[in-house]
Amino acid sequence: MRCAESLRVQAYFDAEVDAVSAAEIERHIEHCAECRALLSDLEQVRGVLRRDAPYERTPAALRAQVMRALDEESAAPAAAAVVPLRARYSPARRPRAFWLGALGGAGGSAIAAMLAFFLLVPRLTNPLLDELVNSHVRSLMPAHLIDVVSTDKHTVKPWFAGHADVSPVVADFDAQGYRLVGGRADYLEHQRSAVVVYQHGAHVINVFSWAGNGHSLPANATRSGYHLAFWQAGDLQYCAISDTGWDELDALVRLLRE
Amino acid sequence: MDEKRARFEAAVLPHLDAAYRFARWLSYAPCDADDVVQEAMLRAFRGFDALRGSDVKAWLLAIVRNCHLTAAKQQQRRGFVPLPEENDVQDGHAMSATTADPEDESIRRDEQRTLDRLIAGLPEEHRTVLMLREIEEMDYRQIAQATNVPIGTVMSRLARSRAALKARWLQEAAGAPRAVR
Repeated sequence: MRCAESLRVQAYFDAEVDAVSAAEIERHIEHCAECRALLSDLEQVRGVLRRDAPYERTPAALRAQVMRALDEESAAPAAAAVVPLRARYSPARRPRAFWLGALGGAGGSAIAAMLAFFLLVPRLTNPLLDELVNSHVRSLMPAHLIDVVSTDKHTVKPWFAGHADVSPVVADFDAQGYRLVGGRADYLEHQRSAVVVYQHGAHVINVFSWAGNGHSLPANATRSGYHLAFWQAGDLQYCAISDTGWDELDALVRLLRE
Repeated sequence: MDEKRARFEAAVLPHLDAAYRFARWLSYAPCDADDVVQEAMLRAFRGFDALRGSDVKAWLLAIVRNCHLTAAKQQQRRGFVPLPEENDVQDGHAMSATTADPEDESIRRDEQRTLDRLIAGLPEEHRTVLMLREIEEMDYRQIAQATNVPIGTVMSRLARSRAALKARWLQEAAGAPRAVR
């Protein structure tokens, strides 16, 4: 027979109770050996699961497939999606001809709006720049900067083989003032990009790399106080981003391109 | 990229991995999970405008579950019962494993395999609730939304699945030595 409080003890364990109930339950646990045992079981099961249960990620092929499906969906049926909504509001008595006109109008304006998005939006905002700045800022938060800590390019480069979709240039320029500190995998442009992390004085420089897939690169830019320098080498596109000055950033870019 | 798509990618795509894992826990056959996830992402995109202030992750997982149910019904109608694919489950570890001492590593992989088998052996409605709580770290309310049951049911399923997993784990430890398989 289970103690009647077992579900409450579980809720306490899952941090689902308020402070008053928590105090009550703690008092109960002190006196109930069964609930003490339960609590330790719960901890054990959680420990085992969080340590050893498979923690899978979406396979790259499936992710790409999803993105393609979304591309098709957001390209084609914008007009189709507008029509049924409009239809609901209109009285059914209207003559048929009105419908044809209304449908044409709705579809036409949807297509016009879509074209406007495609033509105008990329000029006003380049999502890639925002993505890069966000990733860079996130990487500066505690424990986010580096997945593989190493000043040895022979450690960092092979690590990427298992963790990113690309294999970028990795080199240590300690002599020139750019110390290699490690690498990280980051999600960018719908792929697992490789990030090589350098330290220059007090500044962190993240060098992102991803497969270009024929997309053109944005021009060098400054966003939120961070400089972004872009270049292409073979199939790979690179972006070095940091809060150092342009000269320091350019010097690293030149070293990497050599 | 249009504005809805950009909002969708910012709000929903971060939960793609969670959606994939959830689909795996539901069907336990990777190829089914692929179809379910893709269909779910499409439905989520179409219904994205209706999402107002609700929890995105729980909302997305609820869609994944609906897609899974639809797919399962269709398979039933065709009289098709997939065999559990044990090997594929093991392959999943390749990506998350971090290299350490090779001997520790092999013991750990053994334990992972055992645990994986035990999880797979739980009834689906217990397995999903347990994994959403322990792996996705969702709270009761989110789990209730994702699995479409009242919170009380979430609590009792959680209690039962935890007890069952613990019991099976002990059984396993007491049973045959792990190296023999």
